[in-house]
Amino acid sequence: MRIDTCYFCSSRIYPGHGIQFVRNDCKIFKFCRSKCHKAFKRKKNPRKVKWTKAYRKTVGKELAIDPSFEFERRRNVPLKYDREFWQKTVEAIKKVEDIKLKRQNTFIMQRLRKGRELETKRDIKEVQRDLSLIRSPAAGLREREELEDSIVEEVHDSDEEMDPDEDDARMEVAVN
Amino acid sequence: MPGPYKRKKYHFGDTHLKKRWRTKRRKKDLDEINEDLKPEKAAQLLDQEVDLDKPGDAQFYCLHCARYFIDETAMNDHFRTKVHKRRMKALETEPYTIEESEKAAGHGSFVPAKKRKMETQQPLSEEPPP
Repeated sequence: MRIDTCYFCSSRIYPGHGIQFVRNDCKIFKFCRSKCHKAFKRKKNPRKVKWTKAYRKTVGKELAIDPSFEFERRRNVPLKYDREFWQKTVEAIKKVEDIKLKRQNTFIMQRLRKGRELETKRDIKEVQRDLSLIRSPAAGLREREELEDSIVEEVHDSDEEMDPDEDDARMEVAVN
Repeated sequence: MPGPYKRKKYHFGDTHLKKRWRTKRRKKDLDEINEDLKPEKAAQLLDQEVDLDKPGDAQFYCLHCARYFIDETAMNDHFRTKVHKRRMKALETEPYTIEESEKAAGHGSFVPAKKRKMETQQPLSEEPPP
């Protein structure tokens, strides 16, 4: 039993499903369903149609380049049947599948993490810009004014005290 | 139920489009044109024998649009049209192939298509005489 891949959406085609189109240069285009066949007839580019695998990989939504993809491949090399070899490959397939799934999932999680960072940044910015909606700028205005007044008075006092000291210092310099 | 069947028409006004999308009227795909752009094939296509069934006796051919024109002026005008420019833009990225669809399915690493430069073929009048 051979499971083919759809030309348009790259999904699996099980026996008895889909349709084929043979172009006049002998290339065989296989489609999983009429949706994909119709899109092909309309000359849509699978890289630009959002629901295809090709789109998701070109845009970077899914893991595209990884050595774990190199295992499942059509090799066109005849192999002599060997029971032990067969059993080993079946075990290996399971392991490879596990690793591949893990890598794909971590890729997606890392991609989403970036979005969360940006979201927090945007939230902070929004709060800073619209802080007046949360806390009125006039809140505590009177107390602040009083505080400022008291500070100004203190400064004036200290200025008066400071001046004679400075004069003394200048005098001393002049004397020296 | 009494009365006639509902005669509401769905999909009306798209017959001319549907006719264009039939495989019977299918024109060259981008990956076929990409093959045509290779120097040997291109030279063959640009210098065709007189074929009275084709427009302009198959003497005025645009490689990128895979189209025959009736004379030189028509072809040179075509090079300045939106249709041609759009096609040039589409050909700038390498075309999608069956192998790529398999790579997208996870049979091998999916390397994004590269960009390249596309230039319109020389207008006929500017070509040096043989």
